[in-house]
Amino acid sequence: MSQDNDKDRLDALNKAAIPAPSTVARERALAAGAAAFAAAQNTKSEKNATASQGNSGGRRLRSIITSLKGISIMDIRIPVGAAAIALIVVPLGYQLYSSTALTPPQQQLTVDSGVREDLAPPSPAKSQLEEKDAIASAEPAPQPATAPAESVASGVVQLERKKADEMLADSEMVAPAPQVAMQSTNESMGFSDAVVATRSAPAALLGSVASPTVSSGDNFASFEESPVKLVSADPVSTFSIDVDTASYSYVRRMLDDGIVPPPDAVRIEEMLNYFPYDYAVPKSAEVPFTPSVGVYPTPWNAKTQIVQIGIKGYVPPAESKSAANLVFLIDTSGSMDAPDKLGLLKRSFGMLLDQLSGDDTVAIVTYAGSAGVALAPTPASEKSTILASLDRLSAGGGTAGADGIELAYQLAEEHKLSTGTNRVILATDGDFNIGISDPDELQDFIKTKRQSGISLSVLGFGRGNLDDATMQALAQNGNGNASYISNFKEARKVLVSEVGGTLQTIAQDVKIQVEFNPAVVSEYRLIGYETRALDREDFNNDAVDAGDIGAGHTVTALYEITPAGSGGLIDPLRYGNQTTPKADASDEIGFLKMRYKLPGEKISQLIEQKIAPNVVYETIDEAPTDMQFAASVAAFGQKLKDSSYGEMDWDAIKSLAQSGRGADPDGYRAEFVNLIGTASVLRPDVGHAK
Amino acid sequence: MLMAWGTNLDEVGVTEPEASSSETPIDHLVRRAQGGDADAFGQILTRHYDLIYRTAYKWCGDQSDAEDVAQEVCAKLGSAIASYDGRAQFSSWLYRIVLNSVRDMQRARSRRNRHVDALAHVSPQQTAPDQEAFVTAGQLWDAVRGLPDNQRDAVLLVYAEELSHAAVAKILECREATVSWYVHEARKKLKGLL
Repeated sequence: MSQDNDKDRLDALNKAAIPAPSTVARERALAAGAAAFAAAQNTKSEKNATASQGNSGGRRLRSIITSLKGISIMDIRIPVGAAAIALIVVPLGYQLYSSTALTPPQQQLTVDSGVREDLAPPSPAKSQLEEKDAIASAEPAPQPATAPAESVASGVVQLERKKADEMLADSEMVAPAPQVAMQSTNESMGFSDAVVATRSAPAALLGSVASPTVSSGDNFASFEESPVKLVSADPVSTFSIDVDTASYSYVRRMLDDGIVPPPDAVRIEEMLNYFPYDYAVPKSAEVPFTPSVGVYPTPWNAKTQIVQIGIKGYVPPAESKSAANLVFLIDTSGSMDAPDKLGLLKRSFGMLLDQLSGDDTVAIVTYAGSAGVALAPTPASEKSTILASLDRLSAGGGTAGADGIELAYQLAEEHKLSTGTNRVILATDGDFNIGISDPDELQDFIKTKRQSGISLSVLGFGRGNLDDATMQALAQNGNGNASYISNFKEARKVLVSEVGGTLQTIAQDVKIQVEFNPAVVSEYRLIGYETRALDREDFNNDAVDAGDIGAGHTVTALYEITPAGSGGLIDPLRYGNQTTPKADASDEIGFLKMRYKLPGEKISQLIEQKIAPNVVYETIDEAPTDMQFAASVAAFGQKLKDSSYGEMDWDAIKSLAQSGRGADPDGYRAEFVNLIGTASVLRPDVGHAK
Repeated sequence: MLMAWGTNLDEVGVTEPEASSSETPIDHLVRRAQGGDADAFGQILTRHYDLIYRTAYKWCGDQSDAEDVAQEVCAKLGSAIASYDGRAQFSSWLYRIVLNSVRDMQRARSRRNRHVDALAHVSPQQTAPDQEAFVTAGQLWDAVRGLPDNQRDAVLLVYAEELSHAAVAKILECREATVSWYVHEARKKLKGLL
């Protein structure tokens, strides 16, 4: 389009035509600044009065104020179809909201409340502002509008606008803004681009050092989908297991709130592993799991098949359960002071204590806000003492907590059990200012502690500030799992139904390696586990760390394979390099190897199993419900991620999930089926031209 | 082509947008403001509003967004000014705040955008009206704004703000080589996009 080379093109960037700022905006900004300055000059005591909003000492500031006033142009452009969808979605969103018994996360403001009051001429009292904030995403805006369709649509738009509206003159609020914000550009700057793990962790951890702002959004490490591999060139696939489930809870919450989650938030392996599967249960602790393997046709691609590998961890009988030494490291920063964060933790803690016995001890250390030991190690049977100390915790103190994590580990160390579980459980909504600010140093610290036998799990709460990337990094380094707790039901799942997995590790450093037979399979692709890939040589190297499995954990991995001769994505080699497989193995699909260490041991054990043709199902309908369901979860995840590998209609995914529901005693799968419905409304197939 | 721009990487020299010898030096104003002088703070804002707004505009490409960001930055400065410790140049420090605010806004936006898109099938491919006259320039801007944050920041600071790599490194709090690397990566990406 031009002969300019790149240099000249980029140089053109300095010739931007920048429209002059409107004088009104300028005045308003200067006034806002002056007001903020005046507020900042006020005494500490006044600051403390506002501290419950979370602006402790000027840190953890968040932006909401800027927001999206340009968007309301849609008022006049909304087509009838969209308006109709809006009519459906808004009540649906409200219904989902009210049925979760949650108050939505309280958004943090950037400026002190004093400023806000100064800024909002017609504004109601401060508390009302906050409340509006809190319910904004559930409730259509109150402005009257001419047509019902318009009112719903503008209502939804209004929730995007939030604070900015309060600051604008009334006239501006009602009139459509002259420009639509740069949505297209911004969309392309979504999470995948915006966040890179190496950067996001420092951003979160070094907030106070770098600048007065901390990134406000939830952070996700970006990753690429595993590519298709040619069996003749690369026959072996190796990865570490992952028992995390945080991604599914997060995705569910986003969808329930009416938002399509960013692609990097969708980790398919965590969605798969969220659900319990009825895999074969091992008989003894010596061989803590046995693999269940099945092969069935891919629902989204007629040419390929799926190899499903499932394992279920051994569940030791109750009497042989070892004691646990748990230290809770709880974030008490201002932002935790919300019913779905600290409130939820308090409410669900009692349930957890019921799962513990008198041999188990619980201690509580707080950081950020108020810091220190809130509860010295106490036997879990003293439930009232523990709950009382938890009740005394309040979010939003003034001093930044230091050494939180070291204190927690120190406590865990003092009461360390030689045979039981020693674990620090970090509960936070994203404030990782836990005493060690350098992220590398923090990971090293956790790694060292892990080697001394104290592991770390992370419980994430709330939304808006959640630093998923850091959460994952910490839990992986600490041999723990990261869970995202979005509501009471989820708390029950994590802290009651599956607490055994957290409390009792049955196998460590579990690695899976699959070798495919080039005579039978031409291509394969591992679905999910992108962040858990290992090198081939890591498999036999016991020094390489991998994921742990707790009692009763299930792990599911799916490969999409292209049978030899059915044509794949990659052209075959002209000269070939096929080695003839061992004669007796010529019809095997592949060979599965798993390595694990029994708790506390240094030498790994090996489990081997061939993937023989006798586990192949001709149609997906013949496959067990667990397999149908896993395939639907994978399809759902891929669709949400805009995966480049095959896509199904929402309806097809839904019917597959429905037929895979099985007994579903806890209703998790039924909930998933509903979630597909929500996603299909938020991103309909028709409008989704791919 | 790579060599053509390679020569540019070594240029050094910090442009100080706020420098003006006839006015009170910025450091004095900052110190007075930190001491509680509201007039001095007001002067700082007046003097820097255009820089803040223009930077925000370049990063967002939308007037009302830029105005919002600028307002937020002003408000932030009210409390943040006390924490400016003079280690970095004031303008570098200010850039950092502006860039953080832009990023915050866009994060918040990108989460909610899809929500809005789901409701409205209007596909807003709009660039701001004022850019429509410069279609090709608009594409370049869009492409640059679509880069990953680090690369976008580096490219815009180097080319749109015409700062040296050394100055950009201070703002982005990384090493100079990293800035060059960001720019290099950005070029690789832009080749595909342009």
